[in-house]
Amino acid sequence: MNPSETSRRTFLKTAAITGGALVGTGLVPGLSPLAFARGPRSPLRDDRKTKHIVLIAFAGGVRTKETFGMPANVPNLTAMADEGVLFPRVRTANLGHFGASMSIFTGISEPRGIRENSRGPDPTLFEYLRKDLGLPQSDVWITTSGGAQQVNYSYGLHADYGPKYGANTLDGDGIFNKEFQEVLEAYGMPKPMGEGEKEILDRLRGSLGAGDEESAREAEALARVEQYILDELTRGTSDITGAGAADAKALRLARNLLSIFKPRVVGVVLQNADIAHGSFNGYMEVIRRNDAAVGELWNAVKDDAELADSTAFIILPEFGRDADLNARRGLDHGDGSDDLNYVSCVAWGPDFKRGAVVRDVVRTIDVTPTICDLLGASARHSRGGRMPGLYA
Amino acid sequence: MCGTRQSLGSAGVCDTVSLAVGNARVVTMVSPLEPRQGRQDDGRTHARPARPLDAHVLRTLSLDLIGRPPFAVEVEEWSGKPVQAFLDTVLGSQEFWEHWYEEQLYYFLLIDNFRPATDSTRTIPAKLVEGRMSVRDALHRVALSSSFNLRNPGADTFVTVVMEQVVGLTVQKHKAELEIGKRVYDGHNGLFLGSFGENQSDVVRIAIESKAAARAFTAREFVRMTHREAPKKELAAWTRKLHKDPHTFIEVVREWLLSEAYEARLAHPVPLANRLFVRAVFVDLLGRLPEPAEAEPLRNALDGLSDSRPLRSVLVRLLLDSGSVPIPEKNSIRDVTEWVAGLFPRFLGREATPEELKAFVLAFGEPECRPKTILYAILSNAEYHTF
Repeated sequence: MNPSETSRRTFLKTAAITGGALVGTGLVPGLSPLAFARGPRSPLRDDRKTKHIVLIAFAGGVRTKETFGMPANVPNLTAMADEGVLFPRVRTANLGHFGASMSIFTGISEPRGIRENSRGPDPTLFEYLRKDLGLPQSDVWITTSGGAQQVNYSYGLHADYGPKYGANTLDGDGIFNKEFQEVLEAYGMPKPMGEGEKEILDRLRGSLGAGDEESAREAEALARVEQYILDELTRGTSDITGAGAADAKALRLARNLLSIFKPRVVGVVLQNADIAHGSFNGYMEVIRRNDAAVGELWNAVKDDAELADSTAFIILPEFGRDADLNARRGLDHGDGSDDLNYVSCVAWGPDFKRGAVVRDVVRTIDVTPTICDLLGASARHSRGGRMPGLYA
Repeated sequence: MCGTRQSLGSAGVCDTVSLAVGNARVVTMVSPLEPRQGRQDDGRTHARPARPLDAHVLRTLSLDLIGRPPFAVEVEEWSGKPVQAFLDTVLGSQEFWEHWYEEQLYYFLLIDNFRPATDSTRTIPAKLVEGRMSVRDALHRVALSSSFNLRNPGADTFVTVVMEQVVGLTVQKHKAELEIGKRVYDGHNGLFLGSFGENQSDVVRIAIESKAAARAFTAREFVRMTHREAPKKELAAWTRKLHKDPHTFIEVVREWLLSEAYEARLAHPVPLANRLFVRAVFVDLLGRLPEPAEAEPLRNALDGLSDSRPLRSVLVRLLLDSGSVPIPEKNSIRDVTEWVAGLFPRFLGREATPEELKAFVLAFGEPECRPKTILYAILSNAEYHTF
């Protein structure tokens, strides 16, 4: 029996026995240590300090006017910019929320339907990183707030990439909501399984599936995610309510993922700012709340010995909003103004300049090639370039 | 109800099963998991019909047409019967139209808080059954709903979504048309997609009535049913037919299901969408459809993961452990081979291979193996998540 097989079996057995039991009794304050188990980390660039990256699509349509134009509104983003690099002229493409956010993750501006719910044709940042750096799925995560559609950011349909290089995706509001919790509670939590039964189960599953090494690795990864979900369900994320709750959950999950798995990459896609169509005040509230949650995430990183000096943040909206209020005293996004077409991006991390403002025009599609370069991968199909003036 | 188009059941089954429609609770007297009692034989010799329904075809067709696998009694009822007879019963039934309507709402992402809840939308499936509404009328009604308006707020978003979702256009290639549409939406006169309009409802009407919309609808419905792209020539013909008379939709779907494209689809299983998985696992384990209050949160949760298998596995285990699944006691299963063999067609739509059967029967003999263990192994296997 080879070591990886031993490890897998041990993990599966113990996770089934201990994790389920602890969760079932509600005694788990955090994850079972086994859920953190991971193999050796893939080597990144020797000449960079950055080993982890948090990319936040501060999406839903957010103007610079209400962020860096009103520093009091976003104290955390402002503080981050003071310690990092601010790009106040980031050119966006008005492709609808879905397409515009997608372009951040692919480095390609291509039209996507606003309500289109399908994979894009191009590889995403996550696929580039996983393929080029040999990262396991547990090292690459994306948390979202916009439901089914945003799961498509995980991977595209490019023949050289695709699902085997995709990111783990968790939609905060989809899983961690009261309704889902109530359904689970109505049926009770899964009961722990005895060791003997678990062995039989593994054997039965093996007799149905391909039973090869790849299937075994996949089973291990799936079991780890299954365990994480079980534990996260007991953690109180479902209790977050109010304006922008979905965004807050996505950021909370990102924070938990970072502190637990310490993944190489965490993408976060926010969406609640789009409330601006009908409520300017609601939009402002979402921005303030999201800034506060970003601050919590940032502090969690700075307080973590492993992450503090090795983690970079890049944060930007997918596009802005119209220059003027609409008839409902809200803000749409379709007037072609600079308020819509240009947003601000903040970058903070150990390899970046401190307190710099880069006034050159960059593009949202430059983010993916920049991150790939930072970690040592190549966004070879991207149409963006490396962001200038970033490195110290 | 038997003999009507409201369920898959027919006359002989009605005293043992009560099949309600849509999301209503379905009560079945036959547990899907009880040991099989053997099929009733009336002693007559039945000629094996051409293109009969086997477990695989019945499960696949049921999931494609009504978004759920067959109930145990329906399996008993339909096994070996001609596909055509099944289609005669199911196509155009209340359950067929309810599923069609749900799929349209999902396509427009009119789900959760954006789900239309007015009488005029709730009655759409019933009107489709009665022929008082065509598919085009139904889509028109949906796009005129306040939910659609709320889901797509503002001129830019609304007109963009109408152009993309209804007409199938890439808006970035039709910017001038978008600007005209936005003006019409705001109450100005304009020639939108070649027709005159002057308000928001005209934007919807013009889009829905366009031939391009008929083409987009036909193409996506073909994909939904056969899980492959429509051949261009045939697509043009079906589009013409549906554009001229949208009441012929059932006719067209029937043609698709009896086509080589559907034969090919049957040979190549496709992933089971989360919304279908939720319905399937309830039918397979509990013998009933989930209530909306159960189905929607579960679907949303599953939709929140790019790979939903870990959470699906959690849900299967949760249901099996809940005490709600009628799992037979281990010592009540007298013929283990027959019980295990019956689970494969039931859940996977195929017979067990001799190796699988041997492995499962052997495992069942071990003291720590419970019937639940067998079910969990099958329902958490990748094959259960395709159809």
